[in-house]
Amino acid sequence: MPFLLRRTLFYLAAFIAAATINFFLPRMMPGDPVALMFSSAASELPPESLAALKLTFGFVDGPIWKQYLTYLASIFTGDLGMSVKYFPLPVTELLGRALVWTVGLVGTATIISFFLGSFLGMLAAWRRGTRLDVIISVCSIFATSIPAVVTSLVALYFFGFTFGWFPTGYAHDPALDPAFSLQFVGSVLHHALLPMITLCFVLTGGFTVTMRNNMINLLGQDYVVMARAKGLSDRRVMVLYAARNALLPAVSSLAIALGTVLGGSLVTEVVFNYPGLGNTLYQAILARDYPVIQGQLLVMTAAMLVANFIVDVTYVLLDPRLKGSG
Amino acid sequence: MVQLLTGLRHNRKALIGLTIVLIIVLIAIFAPLLTEYNPAARTGRPHQPPSADHILGTTRLGQDVWARLIYGARTSLAVGFAAGLLITVVGTALGIIAGYRGGKTDEVISFFTNMVLVVPNLPLLLVIAAFVGQAGPMVIAFILGITSWAWGARVTRAETLSVKQRDFVKAAEMMGEPQWRIMAFEIFPNVLSIVGINFIGSVIFAVITEATLEFLGLGDPNVISWGTMLYNAQKASALSVGAWWDILAPCIALALLGIGLSLLNFAVDEIANPRLRTGSNLGRWASLVKAGEGRL
Repeated sequence: MPFLLRRTLFYLAAFIAAATINFFLPRMMPGDPVALMFSSAASELPPESLAALKLTFGFVDGPIWKQYLTYLASIFTGDLGMSVKYFPLPVTELLGRALVWTVGLVGTATIISFFLGSFLGMLAAWRRGTRLDVIISVCSIFATSIPAVVTSLVALYFFGFTFGWFPTGYAHDPALDPAFSLQFVGSVLHHALLPMITLCFVLTGGFTVTMRNNMINLLGQDYVVMARAKGLSDRRVMVLYAARNALLPAVSSLAIALGTVLGGSLVTEVVFNYPGLGNTLYQAILARDYPVIQGQLLVMTAAMLVANFIVDVTYVLLDPRLKGSG
Repeated sequence: MVQLLTGLRHNRKALIGLTIVLIIVLIAIFAPLLTEYNPAARTGRPHQPPSADHILGTTRLGQDVWARLIYGARTSLAVGFAAGLLITVVGTALGIIAGYRGGKTDEVISFFTNMVLVVPNLPLLLVIAAFVGQAGPMVIAFILGITSWAWGARVTRAETLSVKQRDFVKAAEMMGEPQWRIMAFEIFPNVLSIVGINFIGSVIFAVITEATLEFLGLGDPNVISWGTMLYNAQKASALSVGAWWDILAPCIALALLGIGLSLLNFAVDEIANPRLRTGSNLGRWASLVKAGEGRL
C-alpha cells in the first residue's frame, strides 16, 4: 500500500477512535450524564429546549449503537451541537469566535519562538563549549523546565500588577467596539503583548534544544568539513551548510507545534483572561458544557492529525524513497 | 549501572540537580519538624506578609504559607513519582514486548502507541479529569499514567530492536531461555538508560501537569498541594490585592523542582550516550515539557 494512503487510513482510524472516546466518556461516568449535564445547566436552560438539545447532542432514544452512529454522522457533517451555557448558540460559532484570538496569539508566538529558538540553537551549537553556548543552554533548560503556569503568573504579577505596564485581562479594551481603527488595533496589540512574551519564553527553549542537538550532530559531517576546507566564510558555512540541514527535522516539529495551536494555550489564556480556544474549553469545563468540551476536543484532534499528515507529505516530497515503500 | 552511578558523581549538572531534588524530598519528609503550624488550620490573620511568626506569610484564610508549602511538597512529589513510575512501567513493558516479540504483537502494540501519540493527550486528560470531577492526587496520577505512556513505549521499542540483535541475546535464545526471562534479564538491563530518562522526564511531566490541573480547579480543593495553593491564591485574587507571597511561594517551589529534575535528566542522558553528549533523547523532555505546559 502506498505510504500516504496508509497514513491517511491511520489518521482516519485515529480520528474515529478519538470521536469514540468522546462519545463514550460521558456515558461511562457514574450517574446519568444527561441528567447531570442538564441539572448543572438547569438555571441557564429553558425546559422546552431540552428535547432539542438532547437530540443535537446525540442522546436520541434507542440502543447505544444507534446513538453512536447518529453522533458520528453529526460530526462528519460538521454539526457539533449547541452550547448548553450559551444556548442556543451553536458550538461551531462559539469556537469560531475564540479561534481568531487563539490563532493570532498562540500561532504568532509559536512562529516567533521557532525562529528565535532555532537562531539561538544555531549560535550555541556553532560556538559549542564557549560561554555563549553555556548561557544559551542553561537559559533554555531553565525556561523549559519552569511550568507555564508559573511563568504566566509571575509575568502577570510583575508586569501587569506591580509595574502596570500591561493590561491584566481581555483581548482589547472592553470600552472599544471592534473596528479597523488605529485605536482598536493598538489596544489589541497592547493586550496581546504580555501573553505573547510569556508564551515565547515558554516555547523558545524547546526549539533551541532541538536545533542545537540537530546542528551538533551535523557539524561533524564531511560536507561541513569540506565547506570549511574550501575556505568559505564562517557565517556561510554555519547558515547555508549546517543550519540549513539542521532545520529540516525542526520544520516538522514546527508543523506539529502549529497543529497544537488550535488547542490554544490553556494556562496562559486562563491566567491572562484571554478569550481564546483554551479559555473557552476551560470555561466549558467549569460550566460542564459538554457539547463545547467535546467539540473543542474534536477540533484539536482534527488539527493535530492534519498537521501530522502535512509532515508526512513533506517527508514524501523530501525523501522520494518513501513513496513506493509498503 | 555502576558506570552510570560513577558518572553521575562526576557530573556537575547531576550534582546540582540531585541536590535540589534531595533537599525538596527531605523537606517533604520532615515537614512536621520544620513547622509548628497545621497546614489546614487558621493560624493567623488573613493575607499577612512574611514575618517572624509566619515566615512566608499567610493565605486569605489565615493559613501558614510555609506549612502549606512543605506539606504540599509531599503531594506533588508523591503524584510525580507515582505517575512517573506508572508511565515508565507501562511504556517499558509494552516497548520491550513489542520490540522483542515482533510480528503481530508488535503491529498491534505499535498501532495503539501511534494512535495515543497522535491524539492530543493533554486536552483529553483535562476532559477526563473534568468528567471524574474533583480528582484526588492519586486519581490524577492514575489518569496521567494511563494516557502518557506512548512516548516511552516507542523509544524503548526502538532500543529493544537494536539490543535484540546482540550476541548475548542470541546465546540466551539458543540455550532455550524462556521469552519472559530474556525480556526481563537480558533486554531490560540493557535499555536501562532509556528507562531512566523516560522515568525522570515523566516525573517532570507529572508534577507540572498535576499542578496545572489543580490550578485550573479540576483537582480536589481540600488536598494540600502546590497546585491547590495556586488555585486558592488565584481564587482569592492574591495578585490584585498584592499578596505576592501567596502565589510566588508555590511558583518558586515548582520552578526549583522542575529545574532540579531537568538537570538530572540532562546528566543521565550525557552519561548514557557519551558519544552523543547532546543526544536526541534530550528532545524528549523538552518536547514533553513544552507540550505539557505551553499547551495545556
